[in-house]
Amino acid sequence: MPVARSVGCDPTGRGTKDTVPATIVKEAFSVPLPPRGSELRIKIGGAAGLGIKAAGQTLARSFVAAGLEVFDLTEYPSLIRGGHNTYTLRVSPRPISSHVEAVDVLIALDRQSVDAHLDEVIDGGAVIFDPEVTSTEGWLPNPRVRPVPVPLGKFAKESGGPIMANTVALGAALGLVHFPLMFLVDSLREQFAHKKPEIAEQNAAAASVGYGYVTKLAGDFWMAVEPLPGQPKRLLVDGNEAVGLGALAAGIGLYAAYPMTPASSILHFMAAHEREAGVVVKHTEDEIAAMNMVVGAAFTGTRAMCASAGGGFALMVEAFGMAGVSESAVVVGVLTRPGPATGLPTWTEQSDLRYVIHASQGEFPRVVLAPGDRTDAFELTWKAFNLADQLQTPVIILGDSYLSDNRQSVPMFDLDAVTIDRGKLVTEGDVTEHPEAVDEAGRYLRYKLTDDGVSTRVLPGVTGAIQLGNSYEHDEYGYGSAGEPADMRAAQNEKRMRKLELARTLVPPPVTFGVDVAEADVAVLCFGTTKGPVLEAMRWLEPDGVKVAVMQVVTVWPFPADEVSAFLAAAKRSVIIEGNYTGQMQGLVRERCLRDVDKTLHRYDGRPFSPEMVYAKLKEVAENA
Amino acid sequence: MPDVSEITGAMDPTWCPGCGNYNMQKALAEVLAESGMRFEDYAMVWGIGCHGNGADFYRSQGFHGLHGRALPLATGIALSNPDLKVIVNMGDGDGYGIGGNHFIHSVRRNIDMVAIYHNNQIYGLTTGQASPTSDQFMQTPSTPGGVVEEPVNPVGVAVAQGATFVARGFAGDVEHLKSLYRQALDHHGFALVDVYQPCVTWNKVNTFKWFRDRVYKLEELEGYDPTNRTMAFEKSMSTFHELTCAPDECKIPIGVFYREEESFTYQDGLPQLDRPMWKHAETPRDISKILEAY
Repeated sequence: MPVARSVGCDPTGRGTKDTVPATIVKEAFSVPLPPRGSELRIKIGGAAGLGIKAAGQTLARSFVAAGLEVFDLTEYPSLIRGGHNTYTLRVSPRPISSHVEAVDVLIALDRQSVDAHLDEVIDGGAVIFDPEVTSTEGWLPNPRVRPVPVPLGKFAKESGGPIMANTVALGAALGLVHFPLMFLVDSLREQFAHKKPEIAEQNAAAASVGYGYVTKLAGDFWMAVEPLPGQPKRLLVDGNEAVGLGALAAGIGLYAAYPMTPASSILHFMAAHEREAGVVVKHTEDEIAAMNMVVGAAFTGTRAMCASAGGGFALMVEAFGMAGVSESAVVVGVLTRPGPATGLPTWTEQSDLRYVIHASQGEFPRVVLAPGDRTDAFELTWKAFNLADQLQTPVIILGDSYLSDNRQSVPMFDLDAVTIDRGKLVTEGDVTEHPEAVDEAGRYLRYKLTDDGVSTRVLPGVTGAIQLGNSYEHDEYGYGSAGEPADMRAAQNEKRMRKLELARTLVPPPVTFGVDVAEADVAVLCFGTTKGPVLEAMRWLEPDGVKVAVMQVVTVWPFPADEVSAFLAAAKRSVIIEGNYTGQMQGLVRERCLRDVDKTLHRYDGRPFSPEMVYAKLKEVAENA
Repeated sequence: MPDVSEITGAMDPTWCPGCGNYNMQKALAEVLAESGMRFEDYAMVWGIGCHGNGADFYRSQGFHGLHGRALPLATGIALSNPDLKVIVNMGDGDGYGIGGNHFIHSVRRNIDMVAIYHNNQIYGLTTGQASPTSDQFMQTPSTPGGVVEEPVNPVGVAVAQGATFVARGFAGDVEHLKSLYRQALDHHGFALVDVYQPCVTWNKVNTFKWFRDRVYKLEELEGYDPTNRTMAFEKSMSTFHELTCAPDECKIPIGVFYREEESFTYQDGLPQLDRPMWKHAETPRDISKILEAY
């Protein structure tokens, strides 16, 4: 094993001070990657309350139905009306794993959208706007962009109402890029299927008017997007839906939560399916109640989950610790938004890594899984329930707003791969049929000291399985006062901590992408949703001759020190990319691997990493090697 | 069916000699024994406090949870296994102070469970600080100048919040307490039993004698109708005693303040709670139909 690079004292906790300011993003716009015209990037901007996200998702469904891949990005302030919202849709004939910052077609529903986003439009890109709403003063004429004035409001009123202006604009955008209108019409009919039939038809008419106007009157545009027929069925899901679907597949029986962005839509998803699927879904009085209810449900053997943002998880922490000491099999979603406190409610960050690894007083084993995309989110969620049961300890799914809020087309989830492993669980019969679980007198030992730390869990209701779950330290039966002697405390503490060693053999290992690390010019370590922009940048660097190896740390706790050490040891130049200020994953590398990386890239302004930003950084590292 | 000695057969209690918790345990154990329920049929949940040490003094299945959080923990049990009768034990600081939010919401939810409050008007386990039900002006280590706040009125709050069963007991009258426990166990809905349970170590004011001089039984009060919510609320206000109140000026009613025979419980609103919910995790759930929408 090579000698680790020396790690100096770093009082700032920041690690190698190599944070790239967000302004690099603007510079990267001058490089339209991937090549101009190889994919379509549409941005819709306007005031909150105009239905921008719904319109964008309708558009996204149209492209997916046509066999294309999409990735969307919704950006909005924490408001219901007013404020500036955007929806950005990336469409490509090949698989894509993130948004990009460059825009080909900007649909500006108001002047603010022009002012805020004109710079993002590539040379030769188009701006669709309503001249009645958005004045041309100060930005037109413009040699860089192609203005496409469309009387959106007028057409909307003629079709049935001014609210349909964005539908007219969607039609106009498709007309501009020569994409068949029928996919949008089908998608609109689907969107309004639960409303009166005339609503869908009015919207179809509005889209058609916008489409026809641009096709006939706006002149030819250089970009053309074609359907890809014959593609297998793909799903268009956001991260919260993927988590909810994974939980359903895993046999969840109770979900409890208090609304908090960006986790709230998991609650909506679960509630929407509670009766058909058979799940008790409870919107509780607070997150404290949610976590306690989940522990109560786990006591009866029910697969149970709660989720929140970091702020809500703060309220859950005491009961999260109770789940640890009482060896309760629970799953907790923590979807990070920038903190601390209320922070930036609708934006993203990766700043809760250390927090979820350490949350709670005292020590107990836990598993933290960090999905990098929607497919990961589905798979890691159903696996989280198995791990919680096998280990009888809490499992956290650590995501962020970038995962929760944004949709991506993904291959159909592999339902055949879903398994249920409940570990050492007895659900029926008589406890005395399980000699490994009882004392000489036949009394059940809920917290029996075992070699692997896991005791046979016999559900309440099984004859003779009288047991006391306990937030106190306890003896093998669960009695609190009998847990006070020093030897029993030490024995129970060691028993629990042994489960962390078992966990290492069960948890998903890190995943590598790209070239073998020994061949790579740059080796990248990342966790969570940074995976998307990193993989995107990795592909962009191929034509430049820059070879990249990527390791995604999927299970962030217990930290896979052996795999990370081997990866970094083999790397010529290594970079950690993480969405926080202090270098939380870098700190884990230093602490657990006694080694460091060469470079870091941080982002902590609430915005996700873009592939442009990662591309620029990796290229710089490779060229300055 | 287990008898009283089996139900209380786990460990010898360590409560102070004369503590009201002894009588509360006696009353509950006797009612459980006569109820015909097996150990497997009910779950007891405990908060943190002197009462909560009772978790070790019963041989019963259940959970000794966190300070103030017994109700949501118990709710998780009740909402995931309809076969279990859930009985929650809490203290006054535990259930009305730190857990006050859960108290209000559990009442309005009308979860089918029994909630017993061991109300000694003091923090016992943390050595005698004022509790949310301490009388105004009571001097304690945390309130040397006297409690400034009005005490919480649990019965009044519960009645006002739409509770479907509200009773108050006194640990000095075991037979009466047993009758309240029996009715609470029979009730379909959230059954609140607030029990004055004098702390012989830290509360030198509200003693057994202090209560004996003041309590009277609602069922013996002529014209009292426990199905009349307004009457129950008025009665809950009239009983708000004060530290300096003379026995004949300050009568404290015990008994059933209010009951609603036909109540719609939270569980009644959950048709999907038709089995122990762990049964949904025997095989992977088929989500292929749901995926069609994506």
